[in-house]
Amino acid sequence: MQVPFKPIAILLLVGLLFPCQASAEDDEGIRFFETRIRPLLAKHCYKCHGEEKQESDLRVDSFQELLRGGATAPAVVPGEPNESLLIHAVGYEDPELQMPPDGRLTDREIADLSEWIKQGAPHPEAGSTPEPRRGEIDWDSARSFWAFQPLGDAALPVVRNRRWPSSSIDFFVLQALEREGLKPAPPADRRTLLRRATLDLTGLPPRPDEIRAFMADDAPDAYQQLVERLLASPQYGERWGRFWLDVARYSDSNGLDENIAHGNAWRYRDYVIAAFNGDKPYDRFLREQLAGDLMEAGDHATRVALNTATGFLSLGPKVLAEQDVVKMEMDIIDEQIDTIGRSLMGMTLGCARCHDHKFDPLSTRDYYALAGVFKSTRTMESFKTIARWNENSIATADQQQSFDQHKQRIEAARKTVEQTTSAANKQLLEQLGKDATLPEKPEEKYPEETRKKLATEQAALKQLEESLPVLPTAMGVVDQEVQDLAVHVRGSHLSLAEVVKRRVPELLSHIGSPQFSSQQSGRLELADWLTHPDHPLTSRVFVNRIWRWHFGRGIVSSTDNFGKLGASPTHPELLDHLASGLIQRGWSVKQMHRWIMLSSTYRMGSRFDGRSARLDPANEWLWRFPLRRLEAEAVRDSLLAVSGLLDLGMGGSMLHVGNREFFFDHTSIDKTKYDSTRRSIYLPVVRNHLFDLFSLFDYADASMINGNRSTSTIAPQALFMMNSDLIEQVTQALAERVLAGGSMDDSPGELLADRLERLYMVTLGRLPGDDESRRAEQFLARFLEQPVTASGQADQQETERLAWKALCQVVLASNEFIYVR
Amino acid sequence: MHTDKLEHPLLPVLSRRRMLKQSAIGFGHLALTALLADQSRAAPVDPEHPLAPRNPHFPARAKRVIFLFMKGGPSHIDTFDYKPKLQADDGKELPFEKPRVQFSDTGKLLKSPWKFKPYGKSGMLVSELFPHVAECVDDICFLHSVHGTNAAHGGALLKLHTGSDNFVRPSMGAWINYGLGTENQDLPGFLTICPTLAHGGVKNWGSAFLPAHYQGTPLGVASLPSTEARVKYTTNRWLRRNQQRLQLDLLSEMNRDHLQLTGPAEELEARINSFELAFRMQAAMPAVENISEESAETLSLYGLDEKMSEDFGRQCLLARRFAEQGVRFIQVTHSDSKVQWDQHSDLKVGHEKNALEVDKPIAGLLKDLKQRGMLEDTLVMWSGEFGRTPTVQGTNGRDHNPEGFTVWMAGGGVKPGFRYGATDEYGYFAVENKMDVPDLHATLLHLVGLDHEQLTYHYAGRDFRLTDVSGNVHREILA
Repeated sequence: MQVPFKPIAILLLVGLLFPCQASAEDDEGIRFFETRIRPLLAKHCYKCHGEEKQESDLRVDSFQELLRGGATAPAVVPGEPNESLLIHAVGYEDPELQMPPDGRLTDREIADLSEWIKQGAPHPEAGSTPEPRRGEIDWDSARSFWAFQPLGDAALPVVRNRRWPSSSIDFFVLQALEREGLKPAPPADRRTLLRRATLDLTGLPPRPDEIRAFMADDAPDAYQQLVERLLASPQYGERWGRFWLDVARYSDSNGLDENIAHGNAWRYRDYVIAAFNGDKPYDRFLREQLAGDLMEAGDHATRVALNTATGFLSLGPKVLAEQDVVKMEMDIIDEQIDTIGRSLMGMTLGCARCHDHKFDPLSTRDYYALAGVFKSTRTMESFKTIARWNENSIATADQQQSFDQHKQRIEAARKTVEQTTSAANKQLLEQLGKDATLPEKPEEKYPEETRKKLATEQAALKQLEESLPVLPTAMGVVDQEVQDLAVHVRGSHLSLAEVVKRRVPELLSHIGSPQFSSQQSGRLELADWLTHPDHPLTSRVFVNRIWRWHFGRGIVSSTDNFGKLGASPTHPELLDHLASGLIQRGWSVKQMHRWIMLSSTYRMGSRFDGRSARLDPANEWLWRFPLRRLEAEAVRDSLLAVSGLLDLGMGGSMLHVGNREFFFDHTSIDKTKYDSTRRSIYLPVVRNHLFDLFSLFDYADASMINGNRSTSTIAPQALFMMNSDLIEQVTQALAERVLAGGSMDDSPGELLADRLERLYMVTLGRLPGDDESRRAEQFLARFLEQPVTASGQADQQETERLAWKALCQVVLASNEFIYVR
Repeated sequence: MHTDKLEHPLLPVLSRRRMLKQSAIGFGHLALTALLADQSRAAPVDPEHPLAPRNPHFPARAKRVIFLFMKGGPSHIDTFDYKPKLQADDGKELPFEKPRVQFSDTGKLLKSPWKFKPYGKSGMLVSELFPHVAECVDDICFLHSVHGTNAAHGGALLKLHTGSDNFVRPSMGAWINYGLGTENQDLPGFLTICPTLAHGGVKNWGSAFLPAHYQGTPLGVASLPSTEARVKYTTNRWLRRNQQRLQLDLLSEMNRDHLQLTGPAEELEARINSFELAFRMQAAMPAVENISEESAETLSLYGLDEKMSEDFGRQCLLARRFAEQGVRFIQVTHSDSKVQWDQHSDLKVGHEKNALEVDKPIAGLLKDLKQRGMLEDTLVMWSGEFGRTPTVQGTNGRDHNPEGFTVWMAGGGVKPGFRYGATDEYGYFAVENKMDVPDLHATLLHLVGLDHEQLTYHYAGRDFRLTDVSGNVHREILA
């Protein structure tokens, strides 16, 4: 076990000494305390805030502890009852903090407590010095934590095996291996490398023709060309965009309490895919997602992208039926801050909502300085149940113009109806005489001709109203009234402390703390600050993500937490080298892939080695390429691909419900269809009820950011592979594909060999071995010996088809199919 | 399973905590917490057998939990929490302020349309709605002072099931499954029978950041009859069992060849085993799901012979069968395709229908567990997501009321024939021995032998608990 002692040495807290206002000589005061206060505290408070238990970190059986207070603020400020949390709590004014919880103290008891504090809180223990606890942070030492340090620029390390490295990355990896007494595994064979690279960059296995072509290509740069081809394929963005969607907690539904459709979230998903395919520089990508609406757009397409990108901020799950709207807004802001903190900076900023961060140098003041930015941002259109999130128009000028014209026509038609009605009413009144009033339904009294005219005009109006086109919109934010927020004591909007100006967290303000405009929310300043080349976290966090997605484990294994409770980097110098490399490469993600994938590290084999495994069982030092199970999407896409069922169509919505409509409200009938054969990234992501296959195979929760999916091996996955409809559909198609091979002239033996070859090539990318062929043959024979199908009689041909189908299922269920070496 | 020994992998952490707290060496609070965090990350779970039964933190009376969830919010003041003053003041104004946050506006006081009378030796008052459950009051411990935080269904369901109404957190069944593992390795450790997909849906039985092993496995959904409650993918339409056996044998050979190629790899071996477990689970599950061997007497006890109670009766009977087979946490949900107990209007009609559907099955379950000697170590908990207002909505309905409502428990470890806590004289607010949801969770965990402060999981930089930063065990209700 590694004990993280270092952080403590770094975070030096300088004590804040309370002036002692009570004196031990104050006998009268002490008596008052002993007779009226101590018994009261003992009776009502000790149970939860005494020796046995310290709820919310508070104990009231010692003077020091009372002064020091609990998780949030001092319980007692001598002389200041109004500033003492204790008085606040027993007063029962704040529904969130009522002590004691099982019933209010009597007025007399409250008055006593208040009086005691007013007297300066005389206490027999007064005079002893409170233990230091809170105070000013020593910034120099706080910033000396590795993750907050400027990017290092280490020279390439000296290594013994100078032939092995083929890229700068390899020097760092090899140095660590040599230091640990390990050796890199021999390079992977071409076939393995092809399968690995293809699945890695596109999420699909290589096709037989691609395998043959690559195996036959003896050009020295064949592998480099392969990487180029894969990076250029549209399937690349679908694979790597999906990784980002995990970080963006992408979902097509709100989840939480009111699970209504994010009917336009797919536009953000398509924006992300396009960004990866177009190699949008990461700094730009990040800026667009935080502040696209505030950025300049040269043309309409760019405007659309920018108005869609901020969907990142609004995709989080929200309690849309929260009756306390202020709480709802603050919860939404909290979700945004938490997401931004963990996804972009690897910092758990959300922890500072109720109290100063326990482990990282972040204060509630930092939190509310950021919260002000999002308070000044319009994420919601309305907070009324069911609350509505904001959507931005992405209409073209033409669409907008014809929409406006249509509205004008509606207005004109409405006017016509009004004119006709008022003229008819006037006429009717004249008819009815001087003092008459209009009857309840005047239109019934109109002349026949007028009635007809009115009916025609009303019908025209109705028709126009119904044919009003829906302008395309995208989930996203815009600025609203700019304001700074007060610190919320214990995170409660019902107890506010001082207002803090919008700014970046003090911890990282030394790289520059932009002045936040009074005209804008500050998202743009925040984005600029995050993408500043000197920002120590942004580039580190992102290259670590790329590394994680290539190797299955980050250099910092806690990809979303670079704070003190996160993991330390295994290769700190390599991390910095990659981070600087990203910036030097203009934040190009594709350049990073090229760099990493052409390294000897990436091209290693995954062969087991007993000695290395003993020294480094977790393969932390990368003595071999790690074995990895396919992700949920790659499992499904591979199944569809090899069976020939995969539809490679891109983009668009696949929801069956309209925007803001329920997937299922009170009824538990889920009408979502997953029977499409499009790639998994396009299937609806319904929070609270993910597609079975997704949730079985460790898909991200879709409610929380997840840059590091786990891989579980559970029996229900096996049940899915054995009995699900999808597997049956896929094996059926695969069996047909396999059986279609061979010619009429083939002998039974030739036919079998041909079919087996086809099965193995399509699924596993290789030919079957002799043993495997023999076993398959035996399997088919024994399967045919079994009494026919569960459903009853079947002819010989049908039985043979079933046997092949069963064989196909075995191959698809095999570890070889579902694991990448 | 040995519950008599104080052996638990978390205990060294506890003693270490004490040691550090007591030591005079200058470890700050931070050092302590950091150290503990790192320890708890080395969770006491055997990675190869994450569901293997594990000792509780301390000896416990309840080995398993059956949670009867009444969706929509049954009215406490019309069922188990009798309020004479409400009966007397019908039509008058509520003499104190309503909560700051309400679901919607309600009017004057509305008396209960049902009569209450005392039952059993304990003389507990129960309304006419639950004549069968009333026969079991001497086994029941009523908690009249439970209060929530959220006045909407979604938030209230999530709060009750996961402890949080605004964040994604593991459900209580998942926590218990994580804490104790399960006794039958051929079945999941946490089952939820006919759960609702609305108002939190899967989150209410999900594992969130806990490993996937601990999530609930659903049997059916609320909108389908319980005759169709099955665990998914346990039957095959086109293959016989012996054919699947042939497949698994070939698969196993293929996977062993592959293992030769890769060298020893735990996860590959685990996957080989998972197919064998699936094969066994596939056989075990239908046997438990199949109630045809139950006697006519038993079926009748659960109300399976009556149209109104047949559906929920089957759910309760399934719960008993899974409990017998060693499943750790079983939830049974009473919900139809509407929000079952949510009588904003027509309280009388709605509640009568609902009560008729569940009364006999619930009583049947309690009696059956008792006669089989299982009630001693099975904790049955009954709850809605909130109660209802004593004030009227419309002319004859009641609104949501999270401020005070009744939950009851029976069996393993709770005082039988006991009342705890109280609401005010109209039943609006919990006032005496108030029990918030974290308190309820802390007490529930205690009853199964888990210390809610020790049952932690390290995620995103901190140690999470079902009770987050609060929760008190209400020892007064412990037998």
